[in-house]
Amino acid sequence: MGFSHLNVSSAFSAHYGVNRPEQLAAAASAMGSSGLAITDRDGLYGAVKHIGACISVGISPIVGVNLKITGEQDLGRVVILAHGHNKGLGWSTLCRIVSLATSRKGRKKETSLSIHELASFFREQANCTILLGLESSLSRLVLKEPGKAKELSEFWKEQFPTPGSLAIEVVNHMTEPGLIGSTKHARAMLDLATATGISAVMTNAVRYIEPDGALTADVLDSARHLEPLGLFEPQPNAQAWLKPVSKIAALALEVTEDTKQSMALIENTERLASNCFLDPEQDCGWNQPKTPEKSALGITGNPFEVLWQKTHSAINWRYPEIKAAELATVQHQLSKELISVNKLGFSTYFLTVADVAQMIRDMRIRISARGSGAGSLINYLLGISGVDPVAEGLLFERFLSTERSTLPDIDIDVESARRHEIYRAIFRRYGGNRVTLLSMQSTYRGRGAVRDGGLALGLEDEQIDEIAKNMWRFSARNFRTELNQKPELAEFSKLTETDRKLNLLVDITQRLDRLPRHISMHPCGVILGDSSLLDLTPTEPSGMGLPMSQFDKDDMDPMGFLKLDVLGVRMQSAMAYTVKEIKRVKQVDLDLDRVDKDDPAVYKMIRTTNTLGLFQIESPGQRELTGKHQPTKFNDLTMQISLFRPGPMKGNMIKPYLDGRHGFIEPDYMHRDLRDILEESYGVVVFHEQLMRIMKVMTGCTLARADEMRRQLGKPAKAQGVATYFKKAAAARGYSQQVIDKVWSVLEGFGSFGFCKAHGAAFAVPTYHSAWLKTHYPTEFISGLLTHDPACIRGDYY
Amino acid sequence: MEIELATGVMLDADGAPASFDWRGELFLTSSRPVRWYSRSLWWQHAGQAEVGQGRNLVETEMWRLWAASTTGRYFFQLRHQLPEDSWEIEEATG
Repeated sequence: MGFSHLNVSSAFSAHYGVNRPEQLAAAASAMGSSGLAITDRDGLYGAVKHIGACISVGISPIVGVNLKITGEQDLGRVVILAHGHNKGLGWSTLCRIVSLATSRKGRKKETSLSIHELASFFREQANCTILLGLESSLSRLVLKEPGKAKELSEFWKEQFPTPGSLAIEVVNHMTEPGLIGSTKHARAMLDLATATGISAVMTNAVRYIEPDGALTADVLDSARHLEPLGLFEPQPNAQAWLKPVSKIAALALEVTEDTKQSMALIENTERLASNCFLDPEQDCGWNQPKTPEKSALGITGNPFEVLWQKTHSAINWRYPEIKAAELATVQHQLSKELISVNKLGFSTYFLTVADVAQMIRDMRIRISARGSGAGSLINYLLGISGVDPVAEGLLFERFLSTERSTLPDIDIDVESARRHEIYRAIFRRYGGNRVTLLSMQSTYRGRGAVRDGGLALGLEDEQIDEIAKNMWRFSARNFRTELNQKPELAEFSKLTETDRKLNLLVDITQRLDRLPRHISMHPCGVILGDSSLLDLTPTEPSGMGLPMSQFDKDDMDPMGFLKLDVLGVRMQSAMAYTVKEIKRVKQVDLDLDRVDKDDPAVYKMIRTTNTLGLFQIESPGQRELTGKHQPTKFNDLTMQISLFRPGPMKGNMIKPYLDGRHGFIEPDYMHRDLRDILEESYGVVVFHEQLMRIMKVMTGCTLARADEMRRQLGKPAKAQGVATYFKKAAAARGYSQQVIDKVWSVLEGFGSFGFCKAHGAAFAVPTYHSAWLKTHYPTEFISGLLTHDPACIRGDYY
Repeated sequence: MEIELATGVMLDADGAPASFDWRGELFLTSSRPVRWYSRSLWWQHAGQAEVGQGRNLVETEMWRLWAASTTGRYFFQLRHQLPEDSWEIEEATG
């Protein structure tokens, strides 16, 4: 007999559910369930993780929501389950229901829906099923006022006449006989279902996987009520766990007292479950990249052809005086990139990002790309990035691999002061049906966990503050172990030996650690989709008023959503201000993006080490390095930004680099074939791009494959395979064992040290721009710094 | 008032008390016992709540049943305390 749990709150029911979707799915699969639902309170926050977890353990995902429904009388909470295998009808209906229910959240009203609003989603056909269970008002009436309960169920039936819209939940939590959740109560709910002809299903209204989680649930209840334990009515017992089918069958038998009836009840539950099994691809668009329609981007014809034309016609703009040989290199690189993009079907994606970048520039807002996106010539030609990847030796393969089919990340830095303006403009340009902001879940960490744990136990605020003060630099789940080791916790540790509540607090804090706490707006993510976006993700109002998706950044790839990171950078605001001041005071029109990148005066100024106010190179450590480094060209800035980080510093990479640069030592290139690759860094392997090239030269693999292996180097389980391949392939190409071992010993430890050169080069652009402004217009630049408050002025360093 | 215990509790296949000793007499269960789960207010007495101890801290197994000895028939409410495995008599009415 199959049984799938249809009412399950995960930890994404903030301050209610105890376990994460991945844990729940694994447990359900282990007990042999064919499917599992996630029905979080007020949102689908955990839905994508649930679907992914179900796919990976081989069970069918079911998704629903637990919502408060209002009417003339209080109707309590119900669970709404999406039907599956109907080309997304159930999923989109559920998304729209949730978005409507949360739309009032901004005005301090709680998430809820009136019964009439809910009914409007069921007019034509039932794409969802509503479960009336323990938390519905029906449950409160069924034993005390059975007549009223009957009337109420008739009312629900009138509101939802479409067959399949409603079911009554039979939940046997074995509470005190006669109370809600008791066997007697469950029997009354079943009888009510029979009497009214509403379908009955068995659930266990799950809040935790094991009974042990009930204690955590008590603490979460306290955090939700904002009151200490004992001041509100707690859960009745610890029965709301993910029970195996044998136990569920026994509970059903206890309710029905009849084998046939109990079998029928469970079969009926499984029938509804299989009706709700989602087909992730067909229903939710799983793994299928989505971009705005051509019409929304203002293009006609084949997107690839448009991309081909746009990039080719920009060659003259980006390379005005290019020589024939270089032009051939550029055209060859461009063709290579275009072939990959076409193969992956990402043309529209690039056109979309280019369109956004152009829109931002048209708003006269400063913009620069960050990250591996600077490695793409397409991005340079489309004006998304300001770094010439050919001149800087960057690699497209580091950015986009044909071996992975997820949309690449293109991150954009803009003026921080005008970031929200850009968000609004994106909504206007593409329409509110194609755009939403990204959200993120804050989780419990040490301090928050101690605070809410302390609140639950009714400790004094001052006492909690004192403990929270010392909760740092360790994970709260190790609180007990750390207690005996950390000197700053010694005093507290002593107290726990005699103070019962303080000792209890340690265990409770450990239990809360890492659980989702609340949702907020992601600092820079915008989701851009086609006009079906709001059918695929539920949204709710963000702090700034614009809607945000209930899904977080990890949900983007599985959902195939295009996420654009538009990050506010104060330096860009400071520079924009400077340019305006130059115009006002000196009457000079300055296009910062077109200034000479090889201005000797600028490097001379940098070499004085008076770099305060310059992007990325103003910290005391960077200033010291600037003095030792003595940069003379753009690539030196890229190098310096990439080297001055904890990894290379710990790996002792800076000294050999500087010694080689100043001629104190002869650079060691390990083999003459590697000289071209390592010359810029005097034999030190600094960049991901260098590692990829070394792999290519020594093993003959493609750069795309080299990037895959670079990723695997960071994973201990896979690194061995890379080692075997590298040594064998390099030997086959005639490299000596000595060279192979030497090179491998460098590559092996590379994972934590290496840096993406494209990222360094992208950062070096604003570094150079700020240095240029400081050199030629110091007064205006410093007024820009003082106005927009980048790092140095905030006193981060002094 | 001191808590009275049922001792020598014999269980049936479902874990329900079938017979026990109280006040020096042997009682045999004479109705279908009803099991339910009550909760305790652990924050009032517990000194720790490590993972694994949650269930016993939060809930207690309770039984309602009629049982008879040679001298009379009583309604009992029994509290099965774990991990001690003791049976407290919460109510006994004749």
